[in-house]
Amino acid sequence: MTTLSSLLPLPVAILLAGAALAPLAIRVSRHVLTAVSVLASLASAALLVAFAPSVYGGRVLTEYLGNWKPVDGQVLGVTFGVDAWGLTFALVASAVGALLLLFLLSTNAQLGNRELGASACLFLLLDAALVGGALTADLFNLFVWFEVAALASYALTAFFLERPPALEAAFKLLVLTNVASFLIFIATALLYTEHGALNLGQLHDALVRHTGGADLVALGLLIAGFGTKAGLVPFHGWLPDAHTAAPGPISALFSGLMVNFGIATIGRLVFTVYPLAGTHVLGLLMVLGLVSALGGAVLALLQDDLKRLLAYDTISQMGVLTVGLATASGTGLAGTAYHLVNHALFKSLMFLCAGAIVHATGATNVSEMGGIARRMPWLVGAFTVGAAAIAGIPPLNGYVSLGLIHDAVLGSGQPLPYALLVLAQAITVAALGKVVLAFLRRQRNPYARDERLRLGMISALVLLAGSCLTMGIFPEWVLDNLVEPASSAMRDAPGYAHAVLSGGGRITVAEVSYRYLEPLEVALVPVTLALAVPLIWLARRYRDSDAVRRIRSVQTGSVNDYAGYLVIGLLVTVASTAVAPLLR
Amino acid sequence: MILGNYLAAVTLFCLGIYTVLTRRNLLKIVMGMSLMEASTYLFLLSLAYRNGSTAPVLLTPPHGQTPQRLAHGNVADPVLQNFCLTAIVIGVAVTGVFLAVVVRIAQHYRTLDADRVRDMRG
Repeated sequence: MTTLSSLLPLPVAILLAGAALAPLAIRVSRHVLTAVSVLASLASAALLVAFAPSVYGGRVLTEYLGNWKPVDGQVLGVTFGVDAWGLTFALVASAVGALLLLFLLSTNAQLGNRELGASACLFLLLDAALVGGALTADLFNLFVWFEVAALASYALTAFFLERPPALEAAFKLLVLTNVASFLIFIATALLYTEHGALNLGQLHDALVRHTGGADLVALGLLIAGFGTKAGLVPFHGWLPDAHTAAPGPISALFSGLMVNFGIATIGRLVFTVYPLAGTHVLGLLMVLGLVSALGGAVLALLQDDLKRLLAYDTISQMGVLTVGLATASGTGLAGTAYHLVNHALFKSLMFLCAGAIVHATGATNVSEMGGIARRMPWLVGAFTVGAAAIAGIPPLNGYVSLGLIHDAVLGSGQPLPYALLVLAQAITVAALGKVVLAFLRRQRNPYARDERLRLGMISALVLLAGSCLTMGIFPEWVLDNLVEPASSAMRDAPGYAHAVLSGGGRITVAEVSYRYLEPLEVALVPVTLALAVPLIWLARRYRDSDAVRRIRSVQTGSVNDYAGYLVIGLLVTVASTAVAPLLR
Repeated sequence: MILGNYLAAVTLFCLGIYTVLTRRNLLKIVMGMSLMEASTYLFLLSLAYRNGSTAPVLLTPPHGQTPQRLAHGNVADPVLQNFCLTAIVIGVAVTGVFLAVVVRIAQHYRTLDADRVRDMRG
């Protein structure tokens, strides 16, 4: 086992090496660049797969970087500790990352060589940061990976400097993410001063002994900080703009992988670092989740720009994931882990399709996209697979993960959140249904461009759509082998803490009960579809009404307002984690 | 007085936030961000300080002292100071990206008014 865990830093190192090699590889040729960067991603994924059998069997692999081993339960150096939760996210980040890179490098043929090399470099850098953030068991190291991901995302958003929207989006992203990084930085310092520890296991042990006021403030700051990365309402101001401005594969990277990183980390901090009994954070997560799920879905329904619509839907999906975390039950966390993987798959798929459609036709608005279905049936087919997966239509993957989350919310005896979740689901179906219907309509105006898909693009789309289907067709296998260990890792904080402090260990893997044909879940499919039809009609009928304009004007476009939303959200989170327990 | 440091850090942070929330000039927003950043450094260094402590310099100790005895004595926490160094490096990089974006915005939009750089809304 020691030999295996000594390989832990390698997946990150390979991605970083790939990032360093990409600008050099492009000097040889484009094919070499594609080979180097896709291979780096695949090699990293393959190494992570090598960890999978033991990690999903319930082990936690631990490696002390620089061989700074713990002395008397104190760790000085950076620790990498891999449990099933972190590994699931890291695997998805590297494997889906490889597909997105393949797509990126085969679409942007009109880009210059230097730009292509630089974009592959930044892509790999961001991917390395995500994998590193998932594998690390050190709070300050987590902050550093957050910053690496942030810097790479700034540069990727502003990459097309000649396009003004990219600059505008980059500025908003910079302001919000930078404020978030300050919050995480202060929280890290607070926790270190209180407990003299940065290792997550050591922090957990210290927090179990005593969770003080400063720790709860730090928790509020951390949730706000990583909530900004996750794009939860009200920290979401940067998200729609950054996704609209970037090219398809980059939006897919942001939406499918980077945003998920925020949720995965919130889960890690709330469940395995803080003792759940010492904090009252689940109510806050439930509210944040429901507001994001509903707000994102409504804004998506009222949106006409295709990529912006998908970005709002990402906010909504992050809300659903947060609701899953807020249930804190084995089923709910299993649903969250499942949906995290699913979201990476279907949202990447849809952003790639959207990017390809925009790229091939020059149209950006849904209402101008009539006739696409006839011209690009495969693209529309792939998009529809993604939409149906989000809509939770069996046999696709979304049905299972949403079912688990719904099950957990109902099981914890919370009918109102359940009803709101179903409503958000119906609005989401309407928003995506609107797009699919628009593709099927007759063409009105001629398109600016007419280009064809390349082989790299088609293979990435087919693989993603196939994964969506596979994850949905074999839910038992996924549950037993991937999702149950991941959710157990979140529920066995002492096991994780012990493993990280003693060079490896085990967590207890608990069964998650799930019935595929649960009558309520099956009934939900026609119900949400039926609700969606009048919603689509309403959205179209009142497209230009004052009410719609007023709802949409919440997203003012002003960076000052977005920072204001963030500050309000920050005050609410800190108040509910640190001040509310005092009043109780 | 260490309490003064904390108050100064909080005041600077709030001034920075105030600037980001109310100023429409993009450069002033960047300056507000830098102010917030500086306030976090002040905060961390104040956290690292213990009453009457000396700087955590262990190399070439003064006459009659050993590094071990210095480390066991009253020294400020070097870890938090290291945090600051890391964050300063990151901060410089981020400010660089910030200013590059502002320069390009100024070239494209011919303005630095955040209210006129808001094509994407709704």
